[in-house]
This record gives sequence, C-alpha cells and structure tokens, in this order.
Amino acid sequence: MTLVGKKSFIIMTLLIPFLILIVGSIPVLMAYINSSADTSVTRIAVIDESGKYGAAFKNTPNYRFVIMQGDKKVNAHEFYKNAGESIDAVIVIPANVLDNQQATIYSENTIDQGTISMLTKCLDDTLARAKIASFNDPDLESKIEQSQINAEVKSIKWDEKGDEQEQSAQFASVLGMILSFFIYTFVLSYGAMIMNSVVEEKTNRIVEVIVSSCKPMELMMGKIIGVGLVGLTQFAIWAVLLSIGYLVLGLVAGGAMVATNPEAITAGMNLPGGTDMASSALSDVMTALAGINWLSLLGCFVIYFIGGYLLYASLFAGFGSAVDQASDSSQFTMPIIIIMIIALYAGIACMENPSGPMAVWCSIIPFTSPIVMMVRLPFDVPWWQLLLSIVLLYATALGCIWISARIYRTGILLYGKKRSFKEVLKWIK
Amino acid sequence: MNFIDVNDVVKQYDGHLALDHVNLHVPQGCIYGLLGPNGAGKTSLIRIINRITRADSGTVMISGRPLEDKDITNIGYLPEERGLYKKIKVTDEIVYLARLKGMPKQLAVAEMEKWLERFDLTEWRNRKVEELSKGMQQKVQFITTVIHRPQLLIFDEPFSGFDPVNAEQLKREIIELRNEGATILFSTHNMASVEEICEQITLINHSRVVLEGKVGDIKQGYKKNLFVVNVEGGKQVESCDNLYEVVPSDEHKGSLIKLNQGVTLRDTIAYLNEHYTLTGITEQLPSMNEIFIETVQNK
Repeated sequence: MTLVGKKSFIIMTLLIPFLILIVGSIPVLMAYINSSADTSVTRIAVIDESGKYGAAFKNTPNYRFVIMQGDKKVNAHEFYKNAGESIDAVIVIPANVLDNQQATIYSENTIDQGTISMLTKCLDDTLARAKIASFNDPDLESKIEQSQINAEVKSIKWDEKGDEQEQSAQFASVLGMILSFFIYTFVLSYGAMIMNSVVEEKTNRIVEVIVSSCKPMELMMGKIIGVGLVGLTQFAIWAVLLSIGYLVLGLVAGGAMVATNPEAITAGMNLPGGTDMASSALSDVMTALAGINWLSLLGCFVIYFIGGYLLYASLFAGFGSAVDQASDSSQFTMPIIIIMIIALYAGIACMENPSGPMAVWCSIIPFTSPIVMMVRLPFDVPWWQLLLSIVLLYATALGCIWISARIYRTGILLYGKKRSFKEVLKWIK
Repeated sequence: MNFIDVNDVVKQYDGHLALDHVNLHVPQGCIYGLLGPNGAGKTSLIRIINRITRADSGTVMISGRPLEDKDITNIGYLPEERGLYKKIKVTDEIVYLARLKGMPKQLAVAEMEKWLERFDLTEWRNRKVEELSKGMQQKVQFITTVIHRPQLLIFDEPFSGFDPVNAEQLKREIIELRNEGATILFSTHNMASVEEICEQITLINHSRVVLEGKVGDIKQGYKKNLFVVNVEGGKQVESCDNLYEVVPSDEHKGSLIKLNQGVTLRDTIAYLNEHYTLTGITEQLPSMNEIFIETVQNK
C-alpha cells in the first residue's frame, strides 16, 4: 500500500536498469574514449647503442620514434636538452641489451605505464626474435610456435538415446551462479524490505488499528506475498528495460565503433583474429544454451525461488515484529544474513564440484538449498535429491511461516523494552 | 438487551494474570465506560473484544451469539496509542482503512467527504498525514474509526491530545453516533468525561471487576449523606448533634452538612426551617473521581 505508491519507489524501479546500463557501459566507453579520442603524440628519441635494435620501435598514431644510430656516444641528457620541445623522452638501448634485457627511458616528465608497457612489448618481441636467430636453427621459430599449446577438454553429454550433445561446463556453472545470485539478492533485499515495513507499522502504532481489521497472520502473509509480487514485477520491468537498453546500446555503440575504427574492436580485445574467436565463442554459447534443459531449469528456479523467499521472508517478518526501533533490528537480522551468506559461499564452492558431498548436502538442507541447488541444477541432479530437497524446503518454509506468525502475533503488540532472542523464541509456544 | 456480553474471561500473559474472570455487559445503544488505573487490564479486555487476541477461557457474545471473526468489520477501534501511515495522503489513508473494514470504495469516498467537511479537514485532504498538526491527525484517526458506521465503537482515551474546543466537538460526535444506534465502549482515566457522557461503567482494578453499574446508581451507592444547605443571608448553619454535623469544606455556595446515621432528610429540613430561612438544599453526590480513587485505593 505505502510502498508502491511512493515516488522514490517508482523512480528507482525505472532508474535502476539505466544505472546498471550506465555502470556496465562505463568500462567500454572509457576504453573507446581512450583508444579513439587520444590524439596526443609522444615523441621518443631512441639512442641505439647496440646499433641493431632501434628498429624495434615502430611509429604508431600516438608515438613517434626518432632513431639515433651510430658510433658516436651520445649523452642522453644533453641530447634531451638540445632537442627542447621536439622530444618528450629519450630511450637508451645499451649495447648488451640482448644479455641484460634492460633499456632505460629518461624524461623530465613522468612516463606513464601505458608507454612503458608498449616499449617493453616492442623490445620483447624484437629481442626474442634475435635470441631465436642466435641459436642458428632455421626451424626453431616454427618449433616454438608449434609448442604454444592451448588445450581444451570438450564436454559431450549423451542423452538417453546415446546421441551426443555438446555442453559447456563453464557456461553451465556461470548460469547456475547467476541464478543463485539472483535468488540471494532478491531474498535479502526484499526480506529486509518486509522487515522494515513490519518495524515501521509497529513504531507507527498503526498495526493495532490494522489487526483490529484483519488477523495478524493475514497481515503478515499479505505483506510477504505483496512484497514478493512487487519484487517480481520490479524484476520483470528491469529485465525488459535492460534487454531493450542493451540491445539499443549495443547497436548504437557497435555501429559507432565500426564506423569510426573497424580495427578498434579487434585491437581492443587484444586477440589476433578476434572476430573469428568471438564468433566461435558465440557459437559455443549457442550450443551450450541448446544443451540445457530450459524448461526444467526454469521450473526448478521458480520453485526454489518461491520456497526460499517464503522461508526467509517469513523469518524477517517474524523477527521484525520483535523489534521496537529500526536501529535495534540488527540483532535479529544478523543470524539470518549469516545463514544466507554461508549459503552463497557454499554455492560458490560447489561450482567446482557440483556433485560432491558438500554440494549434495547443502542442496538438500532447506536454508541453503535455494541458493546451492541453482548451482547444481545445470548439471543433472538425481531426481530423488531434487524431490527431497524441494519437499524439505517447502516443509521448512511452512514451519517458518508458522513460527513467524506466532512470534509476529505477539511481537507487534509489545512495546517498550528490547527483547532478547531467547525471549522471542518463547513466544512461539 | 445487551449488545456485548463478556462472560468470565481469563487472560494470562507469561505468568501474569491480566484478566481474572472478568464479566462485562454493555447494553445496546449505551455509552459505556471502562475504567481502571494503568495496567488494570483494560487494554487486554479491549483487545479480546475486537479479536486482536483471544481469551484463555470465557466467552464474548455479540447480540447474544458468540463473537466471530467477521464481526470485526462491525467494530470501530480507536487505540490509545494512535497510529497512521505518515507518508501518504489523508484521503488515501482514510479510504484504505475503510476498505480494510470491508467498505466498498465508492461508499468509503462518499462517507469520507462528509466527515472531512464535518471536521474542517477538506483543505488538508491532499496533504500527507505527517504534515498535519497532532490535533488534525487525531481527527483523521477518529474518522477512520467511525467511517464504516460500526455498531460497536471502542474508544481508548479518545480525548487525549484534543484541545477543549475539539474535545467538545468530539463529545458531540460520540453522542450523535450513539443516537444513531451505535454502542460505545469507552476506556478512560478522565473522570470528568465519564460523568458527562457515560451511562454505565465498569471499573477494573488488578485484573478484576471491582465496581459496575449505572453512573447514577453508583453515585447513590457511594453517597455519604452529604448535603449543601443554603439559607437566607448567605449565613453558615450551625451543627445539630441529634441530626447532622457541619463538615468543613471549600464549598462556597453554602454549608456542607453530613446527616447522622438513621436521620431522614425530612426531619433535617424541618429542623433547618425552624432555625433558618432555608432557600435550598442539594444532595452532594461523590464525583466519579472520588469514587475511582476510593475504590482503587481500598481494594
């Protein structure tokens, strides 16, 4: 009643997707600005005492190199002084650079990290080639190239008929983690919202008027169901706005990038032949997506989502009723939040081994199961475990609602002193 | 016929007996005072009548049948600790609480208009509750209590927080509601208001009913044979050992006399008429305040 009507709530609901979009696109935007808008040019003089490796440095749009070769020994500082404004820095490549693997850059300004890593890379490549050449083995280069191995274990799942289905374990774990994070965030934030609403009604004293019009149990369940539906609606709005936003943003940004600098994207990814890699990764994801039984996954997600929410939300409501002021609530929220955090960590740990004993136990214990089971779900869970876990979860949720209703009934009408945990548990009787 | 019958109700909290075999009979259309010192059990009893809590034993009857959950739409409750949602508009608040009592929205809006006008709140209708003065908030709370025209109204300290002008208006509204057929149960410490508007009372002390009945009857029961005597010339009367003694008092309108045991008023008047020119004699009944203090302190 009071929640949805608030301007701040409506604004937040509409604004959050944009905030996520903005925060999400900041790194991309920054990289883009960095790569395209930087028109400054750094001029570097190369004093090549080795006489061989000065050519390592090639001009780029942002760097200009002036290579000073010759027998004459040049004093870097004098040279820099004489050059005046036309040179920003001087790099000295010593004669024994191949053995020492060290060069030095001098300047009166501070040299930024980007410049140093660019110089290092140029030097690395050239010196490596020189080193290979020094072994006098014409095949060496190709041998080294061939021994650069990037192995992959492909995961194939047989379905009942024995047909092969490719699946991506990595993608499955990420998907599971996203789902469990979703449940965690939702339960925690909306649980806290319920608690605040209970405390607010209690400190407002309006609760006595309300419970003279309906039963405390109705009020509590109304709150839990109402806030739950509000939250789902909010999430749905976010999902829709976010997808639209990413689509629009992707089109605009992609178009702009391609138009201005088609190589920037590949270069930005720092991968040779980036487009090929990207498209093959995409097709991997597509096959992985197809390899997941979406119907059962989403079905289970909804079941665990509702069960977990009911369980925790009722606890938040029950203990919220024991609180006299919002500032006293932490004593009761702490235990609940700690359990949830344990569940989240268990979920993360179970990504490694989704069928191990810890994963199995945590996905059956009701307080952790909504979060941990999400991680396990993409990797087929035996049906009896699933069934046991769901039955336990809902039984516990009902138990928690029952207990919380009894605490709530007593708690909302008691004012004055701060209640201890033990005292609150007595109200259950 | 009684509208509310509370029979032999017991309520215990955590080892503390809040109501000890309490009986309460509220006639239809009566303004009934529920009195008692703090912590006597009034609020516990009220919460049982409006079904916020349940009695451990005993029954509550409404119009001769057991009270059920659906009856709460027929009760209006103004708790002592007032409470409203602070951040919503006055009109939203009233309509929301009216609908919670089962009122259709349109009817609630129509009724609200009447009440807002009656309490001069029309120009505040679109303000948030928190922007209103305390007195205005009290009026809003009163409207939410009565808007669904319940047959039973329970007011816990209705006059606290009202200035004398508004308290007077509230009193008129309460009497008006009674005249329209509502039964009013009224919990208070304010004995002056009890004298003014309550027809019957029950006094609870230490979880038990210690006094009940019609206000007039109770006063009769507590009378101490005191009379205020006025004689011509504004003179003070002298004591008469056989009939009465003069009681020192701060009564400025005449002399206060206390009749001796067994002496009739008739004999006294005859005696006074012989010795003075009697212009008036009125019985001095104890105030509810005195009865309250006396009862609570003695038992």
